[in-house]
Amino acid sequence: MSGSEGRQGTPIDPPWSVDLLADLHAGVLDAETDALLRPRVEADPDARAVLEALDATLADLSALPPIPMPRDVALRIDAALAAEAQGVPAPVVSLNSARQRKYKRVGWGASVLVAAAAAVGVFAVVIPNMSNHTEGAQSAFPQPTQSRSAQPPAATQAPADEKPGLTVKGQNFGPIIGDVLKMQNYGPLDNQETLDGCLKGGNIQASKPLGVSPIQLDDQSAVMAILAGGRGPGSFRIVVLDPDTCGPDNPNGVLADTVMAG
Amino acid sequence: MTAAASSDADLISAHAAGDPHAFPEIVRRHRDRLWAVALRTLRDPEEAADALQEAFISAFRAAGSFRAESQVTTWLHRIVVNACLDRMRRRQTKPTVPLPEAGPGEPVAPRDHMAERETRLVVAAALAELPEEQRAPIVLVDVEGYSVAETAQMLGIAEGTVKSRCARGRAKLAKSLGHLRNRSADANVPVDGVNVQQQRQREAR
Repeated sequence: MSGSEGRQGTPIDPPWSVDLLADLHAGVLDAETDALLRPRVEADPDARAVLEALDATLADLSALPPIPMPRDVALRIDAALAAEAQGVPAPVVSLNSARQRKYKRVGWGASVLVAAAAAVGVFAVVIPNMSNHTEGAQSAFPQPTQSRSAQPPAATQAPADEKPGLTVKGQNFGPIIGDVLKMQNYGPLDNQETLDGCLKGGNIQASKPLGVSPIQLDDQSAVMAILAGGRGPGSFRIVVLDPDTCGPDNPNGVLADTVMAG
Repeated sequence: MTAAASSDADLISAHAAGDPHAFPEIVRRHRDRLWAVALRTLRDPEEAADALQEAFISAFRAAGSFRAESQVTTWLHRIVVNACLDRMRRRQTKPTVPLPEAGPGEPVAPRDHMAERETRLVVAAALAELPEEQRAPIVLVDVEGYSVAETAQMLGIAEGTVKSRCARGRAKLAKSLGHLRNRSADANVPVDGVNVQQQRQREAR
């Protein structure tokens, strides 16, 4: 160390580089050099101006306002977490039969069943073209081992812009919910207007989907839309449409309609 | 358990014990701040939303093994920041999308005057120009107000590294924001640097 240098060759007399002054300002320098340099810097108008500029920069940064999460993103994340939580086996009931039970008020037994189902989330499945086959329990989502181990976070998978084709067998939507939630790809439906028409055909009221993507449903080209469920945080609705036939006047264009309570 | 009255650590424990309401409550508590971090780090709302979704799912799965060696917020931030950094590394060649400072959800305060909004845009744009290794610590320390120690934990780097990256980033910002006038004696100040402060003063006239 010479008479004009601090530790590691730090100059203790002006002029000082902006980087060195920024280091001093940020507390990067060792205590000895800091103590040696600071009074000299304070006594130098040019150096003091740099410190003031750095203070002004900090003030600008700290004045940036909070940015609340947009509602659609919050809903989407609630839905993704609800889907993840549904990795546990959940009772599945037909939406039609659930409605019938609601109106018939069949007594405490059904209430307990519904309450128990609600505690872990309920999948209510309606398949317009297959309604006779969906009465009773049929798992619409994968078992926990499938959901949790077969689908690690997308961050560790392929890049976001290189999505593999999304394929569903039966009503096993669980593995692709997270991917569809990240997409706004109307595919053969082209746009929101066409989607709205197809949803209208199924008597489904919805605003912009949380996620929408072309999928292969049992080797058939389809479009899957995830809609805000309106049953509280985390609830959402999965609708799968046949892009070749769906429209405002065709309820049969809705291939699947699944409501999930958060 | 009354979720609203519980600490974050209690909620993590409740989540691990199977309480389905615990983790969503943690997310609701911290999502605005984490959204701001993700958005300011990635500069792209779609990417930020994807990163947050991935991060929250990762946290949901890993929460059972959370140990109270750090705060829940620090742990969550670390997961979010890592998800953001992963995305930044993957998209290095892709251009960023301008951040809509006044986009959906952005509050419009009564004192939200035009000049203030312009200043925010200038600051946000300058922030976006920083190299990612400087932008992340600047966002956490200088914008979000986390300590150097917390930020070091979140980013998985030494405290001294956080300080020096902040110092480099602040020096660049001071120049690009026009707080730092060109000085002939200082080779580190670019001669052709845009003096945004002067530009803003001209625009205000």
